Amino acid sequence: MTRTTYQFENGVLVPRRKLLTSALAAGAGALLGFPAIAVGKNSLKGVTLNTSLYSSPYSKLIRPWIADFEDATGAKVNFDTPGFPVYNQRADLELSTKGSAFDAVNVTFIYSSRWINSGWLTPLDEYIADPNKTPANYDAKDFLEGTLAPERGTDGKLYGIPWQAEVTIAAASRFDALKQAGFAFPQTTQELEQVSKALNRKEGAAGFVTDNHYGWTFVPFLQAFGGDVFRKAPDDLFPTLDTPQAIAAAEYFARLLRESGPDGVVSYNPDQALQSIKSGKSHLSVQGQINLSQLADKSSSKVASTAAWGLVPKGPAGRFPGAAVHGWGIPVGSKNKDAAWQFIRWATSKEILQRAVAAGYGSPTRRSDIDSTVYRERQRANGYDIASLTTESIALSAKQGHMKYRTVAVYPQVDQQLNKAIELIVTNQKTPEQAMKQAQAASIAELRRAGVSI
Amino acid sequence: MPPAATAALPSIQALPTSGGMVPSRTTPAPKLTKQWQRESARSYGLGLAPALVVLGGITLLPLLTLITVSLTPLSLTNPEGTFHFNQPLGNYAQLLEDERFVHSLWVQFKLSTVGVVLQLLIGLSLALLLNTGSRVASGVRTLFLIPMVLPPIVVALIWKILYTPEISPMHALLEHWGLPVRSLIANPDTALWAIVAADVWQWFPFTMLMVLANLQMVPRDPLDAARIDGANRWQVFRYIVFPFLQRTLVVCALFRLIDSFKAFPLLYVLTNGGPGTVTEVTNFYGFIQAFNFSYWGYGSAIAVVMLVIIFALCALVSYLGRNAGERHAR
Repeated sequence: MTRTTYQFENGVLVPRRKLLTSALAAGAGALLGFPAIAVGKNSLKGVTLNTSLYSSPYSKLIRPWIADFEDATGAKVNFDTPGFPVYNQRADLELSTKGSAFDAVNVTFIYSSRWINSGWLTPLDEYIADPNKTPANYDAKDFLEGTLAPERGTDGKLYGIPWQAEVTIAAASRFDALKQAGFAFPQTTQELEQVSKALNRKEGAAGFVTDNHYGWTFVPFLQAFGGDVFRKAPDDLFPTLDTPQAIAAAEYFARLLRESGPDGVVSYNPDQALQSIKSGKSHLSVQGQINLSQLADKSSSKVASTAAWGLVPKGPAGRFPGAAVHGWGIPVGSKNKDAAWQFIRWATSKEILQRAVAAGYGSPTRRSDIDSTVYRERQRANGYDIASLTTESIALSAKQGHMKYRTVAVYPQVDQQLNKAIELIVTNQKTPEQAMKQAQAASIAELRRAGVSI
Repeated sequence: MPPAATAALPSIQALPTSGGMVPSRTTPAPKLTKQWQRESARSYGLGLAPALVVLGGITLLPLLTLITVSLTPLSLTNPEGTFHFNQPLGNYAQLLEDERFVHSLWVQFKLSTVGVVLQLLIGLSLALLLNTGSRVASGVRTLFLIPMVLPPIVVALIWKILYTPEISPMHALLEHWGLPVRSLIANPDTALWAIVAADVWQWFPFTMLMVLANLQMVPRDPLDAARIDGANRWQVFRYIVFPFLQRTLVVCALFRLIDSFKAFPLLYVLTNGGPGTVTEVTNFYGFIQAFNFSYWGYGSAIAVVMLVIIFALCALVSYLGRNAGERHAR
């Protein structure tokens, strides 16, 4: 199989064959949008870049395109993409030792505060401001401000370039079955439970599925019931996991999983939860839109023609979609910082992100992509506008500020407690009250241990 | 060989270094000069040095580092501020009050005990069954070795598929037979035993192989004598074969006991220590403390405690095995 190589021509990615036959070819001195004075053909020859993201649609999309970057710069890029939890553990360890194993890494949302404010990442402002390293057509201002905010440290500097803005949405795999049973798409937590129960075990599918990272999937429900993780993050980090609202939310959520989830749902990781709904073995789900938008993919989804999408259900206190941003960052220990920046700039350039969006990427971070016709069209399926659900969720998150809990340095410890608490309730090892009180006590202990004064 | 005879044998060092004939057993060993002894010791030292350096570099240094770190509250989120020895036993004191740690020890005890006992029983039983010269037995033996040579992560994935009702052929089959079973890894009453089953499946061939090798060496004479005396199969096994296998079984138990403390891929892939903490063994808890929360000092203290427990258990198992052997010899 021959591989088409690409070059950028006036900011547009053009297949090389076309370029060679084009009259414009003579003027195509810039490669990948690099200014000739900074980076040219083989300017990074001999450099090996070790880069890592967790496995995601974006990483799968750019993997084959990295060859273009290598061809243009002469660099060799090792691109490591383990699963989400494995990536985080590996990166956390590597960054904390300030090692040089990686030159460019994912700045994971949940760890962003910890990694940035511990001084484990390199500030990127100087790279962006230097015209020799970043040409004007990179247009850093094109990134949504909401996606840049979590990438900034307490010093106001930028430590990551966002490549993914993910929000939680809801989806139904068999909307036809749902309508047949006389239901509309569930808009509230009450309706979600009602529909899940009614459809459970119908058509050989469970009523509701979500993944067992409850520190991510449960929190929209916790907040919808009027609860929260902390009293007022990031200023007041006293945990609030044992309030009546939090206990009610945990009871509701665990009941939803226990009574309407597939057998063994507490052992479902994100991939399993996604597979379950893509194969039509679960009716309803609340997950990240990066996953649920894949229901529309005819090549891998059995429910592409029957799927429906909506916002996360509204609870007594309102609607609180989860939102997460992931970015590219440079570890402080990297020995190839300049080359790493060139790679990040390439991987988050307008051209590459446009190309990803054209290929179906559903979580862009650039305003130009979100507003583009290509994105809007690609994110439309069965009459549903998934892009609108995404932007509406991002807007809600920005307006309500309810995601602040997630970017405090000690959230990973509390996240663990939430995971355990929900598992304990679903499997009837503890009552909601017992489990949430235990999570509260453990979280307080962990926060104090981490030096947080509460 | 009688002890008297062995005593008369010259030591290796007593043998001439060049030429000459090997002295007969009655010839007294030539007196070694001090210089020769020094030379000999030096060559031993030089010969062993590279191996000792490597061993020290890759084993002792990390071990000393582990012990040192366990005496500090080192947290990687603030390494400069937390690498101190103000309270050298602080982590250990905290461990005593840490309910989750104590619980993890209990889980570890159940996993190790049940797992190792089952592996020994199944391995021993199958070795006895397959201890024949037939081609079928030989083929079956080879089949049984497959789980042992698979990478642990592959084994974990195989069992993840088997234990996930939505995609599991095992669950589908049971349902087809009218015996539906709920997810074993999501049920707190069965999750640990589901992991034990997977662990046993992977490692019983180790015991089987060791015992089989040992069975090939059982001397024929006592077996024939016992049969002539009218001993039945059970008695032959109980009084002749089993005592002969005892030391091998102790070695297997030791190996598997040590390995059971390192059980990680199965737990990580199948249950992640859950549901709740029912399958959270000690090393998994140490992993969470060190790698999820960045408390390296505390994680190291957990590792040191595990090391001490493993040493103690190994000593105990060896002692029991030795005692049993001596009792049998008497």
